Amino acid sequence: MEGVMNSAIIISILATGIRSATPYLLAALGEMFTQRSGVYNLGVEGIMMMGAFVGFYATLHSGSPLLGIVASLGIGGLMGLLMALVSVTFKAEQGISGIGLYMFGWGLSGLLYRLYVGGITSINGLQLVKIPLLSNIPFLGPIFFDQNVLVYTALLLVPLSGFILNKTSWGLNVRAVGNKPEAADTLGVSVERIRYECLILGSMLAGLAGAFLTIGQANMYADNITAGRGFIAIALVYFGRWNPWGILLGSLLFSMADSFQSMVQVLGINFPYELAVILPYVVTIIALAISFGRVWAPAALGKPFQRGTRG
Amino acid sequence: MKKVLALMLAVLTLLAFTGCGTTTNKTAETTPQAKVEKVRIALVLPATVDDLAWGQSMVEGLKAVQKTMGADKVEVATSEKLGNPVDAGAAIRQYATQGYDIIIAHGSQYQSVLMDIAKDFPKTTFAYGSGFTTASNIFAYDPQAQEGGYLLGMLAAMTSKTGTVGIVGPMESGDAVTYNSGVQQGVTKGKADVKTRVAYTGSFNDIVGAGNLAKTEMSAGADILTGSSQQAVGAMRAVAETKGNYWLSTDMDQSSAAPDTVLAAQAYNWEKVVTKIIDLRKQGILGGQHLILSFADGTIDLKFNPKLADKIPAAAKAAVEQAKADITSGKLKIAVIKK
Repeated sequence: MEGVMNSAIIISILATGIRSATPYLLAALGEMFTQRSGVYNLGVEGIMMMGAFVGFYATLHSGSPLLGIVASLGIGGLMGLLMALVSVTFKAEQGISGIGLYMFGWGLSGLLYRLYVGGITSINGLQLVKIPLLSNIPFLGPIFFDQNVLVYTALLLVPLSGFILNKTSWGLNVRAVGNKPEAADTLGVSVERIRYECLILGSMLAGLAGAFLTIGQANMYADNITAGRGFIAIALVYFGRWNPWGILLGSLLFSMADSFQSMVQVLGINFPYELAVILPYVVTIIALAISFGRVWAPAALGKPFQRGTRG
Repeated sequence: MKKVLALMLAVLTLLAFTGCGTTTNKTAETTPQAKVEKVRIALVLPATVDDLAWGQSMVEGLKAVQKTMGADKVEVATSEKLGNPVDAGAAIRQYATQGYDIIIAHGSQYQSVLMDIAKDFPKTTFAYGSGFTTASNIFAYDPQAQEGGYLLGMLAAMTSKTGTVGIVGPMESGDAVTYNSGVQQGVTKGKADVKTRVAYTGSFNDIVGAGNLAKTEMSAGADILTGSSQQAVGAMRAVAETKGNYWLSTDMDQSSAAPDTVLAAQAYNWEKVVTKIIDLRKQGILGGQHLILSFADGTIDLKFNPKLADKIPAAAKAAVEQAKADITSGKLKIAVIKK
C-alpha cells in the first residue's frame, strides 16, 4: 500500500470525476425539464442507447463528431416525440410507457448496430479542448479546463437551465404546467404543448448524454453501453430536488466517489473492491437521507392532464 | 360473437401446439440416425457473437468445426445476449425440445440451469464453462487461464518501461480470478520489482467504466495493461488512444481491433474442445467429463502481434517462449492463488 496521494493523483481523480459526471448531468438536466412539466420519463436509458448508437454511427461515417452530436440530438428529439405522443396525447400511464421506451431503445440500438456496423469498430471521437490561459492555472486548469466540448456544455447548461426555468416566461409556464395544470390551462397556456416541448428537449439531452459515452469517452460502441447510467440520472433528479444546482451536486458527488474508489483500488490500498464499487451509491443514498428540508416535487408529476377534471 | 372467436382461437392454439409437438417427436425419433449424418449444435451466449472476447472466441471455434467437418455435417444455431440464466434457460429448453444434439451454454452462470434442464433431456449433450461440476449428459469445460496469464504477466513485466502493469478486471470471480492470478505471478517472475495494479469495475459489460479504469491505471503509472471479459475492449481502446502504452488480450487475439496496441494474446482453441465433445458423443459418451483447456493439449495458445515484434525485448520473448515450453511439457505448473 502507498499512502501518498500526490497532487497528480488528486488531479486525475477530480478530472476523471468531472468527465464521468457529464452524461449524468446532461441526462438529469433533461429529465428535470420533463418532470417539472409534470411528466416522468423512465425511458432515459433507452434514449441514451439510441443517442449513443446514432452519434457513433454518424461520426463513423462522416468522420465528424460534431455531426454525431447533431444526430444524437435529433434521435433524442424523435424518441421524446414518441414518448410525448404516448403519454401526453394518448395519456398512457407514464411509468409503463417509459419502461416501454427504454426496452424499445435497447432493442433497436442493438439491432441497428448488428445490421449496420457489427463487431468492434472504433472512431475518432471528440478531442480535448484546452481553454487558453484558464488551462494553465495550477491544479484547477487540468481539472476543469482540459476537457472535451460536451463537458463544458454540460457544465454551462447548469446555470442556463436555472435561468430558463426561473427567469423566462417559458420556464414559468413549465413550472405552472407541472404544478397546477388546470390553472395554467385557464390562463391560456397549452399544457400539452409545454409537455411536448419539455419531453422533446429532455430527450434531446438524453440522446446527447448517450453520444457523450460513444464519441466523448469510449470512442466505440458496444451493446448496452449505457450500463444503467440513464436510471441513475433519473435518481439524480430526485436527489437534486428538481433543481439544476442540486443535480450538479448529485452528479459530481456520485462521479467523484466513483473516481475516488477506482483510484483507491488502483493504488492497492487495502480495501475490499466489493465495497469500493458500491461507494458512489452508498454516498449518494446517505447524502439523500441526511439532507433535510421539505421534500418538494412538481405537484402534477405523473398525472396526465384532462381538461375539465381535477388532475 | 366474442365467445365464438375466443373458442376458435383456443382451438387454433391447441392445434398449433399439437402440431409443434408432432414435429418435435419426429425430430426426436430421427435423432439417432441423424446423429451420424449431421451434428446439430446450439450455442447460448451471455453477450454478443462479435464481442471480441469470450463469446466471439467460441463462435469462431464453431465456425472452424463447420469448416473442417463440412458445413453440411454440422449445423450451428446461436442465441446471444442471454446473460440472465433464467432467459437462457428458456432458450436452452427450446433447443433441447427442437432436438439439437449438443447445447453449449457458454458461461459459468448457466451451471445450475443446465443441471435442472439436462435431467429432462437424457439423450441430449449439454456443455458449459468455465466450470468443473458435470452430470451424466453435461460436460464442463475449464480453460486454465492462469497459464496464458502467467506468460503475458512475464512479458508485461519484462517489457514495461515504467515498472507498473495494470489489470482492468470485471468482478473478482470465476475466470477473472484465474487469469489475474496467473498475470500477477508472471509479473513477479518476469521482474520482481515490477508492480501490478489491479482494479475491478464491478461489471462485465461496462466498456466506458473499463476505459475510465484503464485511464486511471495509466495515470498511476501503468504502461502495459490487460484484462478479461467483454468490457475489456473498452480498456483496450483507452490504451490505444495513448502513446507508448500497450495491451495484452485474453480469450482471443484482439489485435485486429487495435493492431498498434495489442502486443500479444492468450487465445482459446474451442475447435478442439467442440470436436472432442462431438467425438465423445459419437462414442456414446454424452457428458460427465471435466474438459480442461491448457497449453499441454493445444487448446490454449499464445499469439504475438507480428506488427509490434520490435516493441518486445529479445530477452523477454526468449524467457516467455521458454516458460511456454515448460508449461506445455508439464515441467512448470501454474496454480491459481485465491485471496
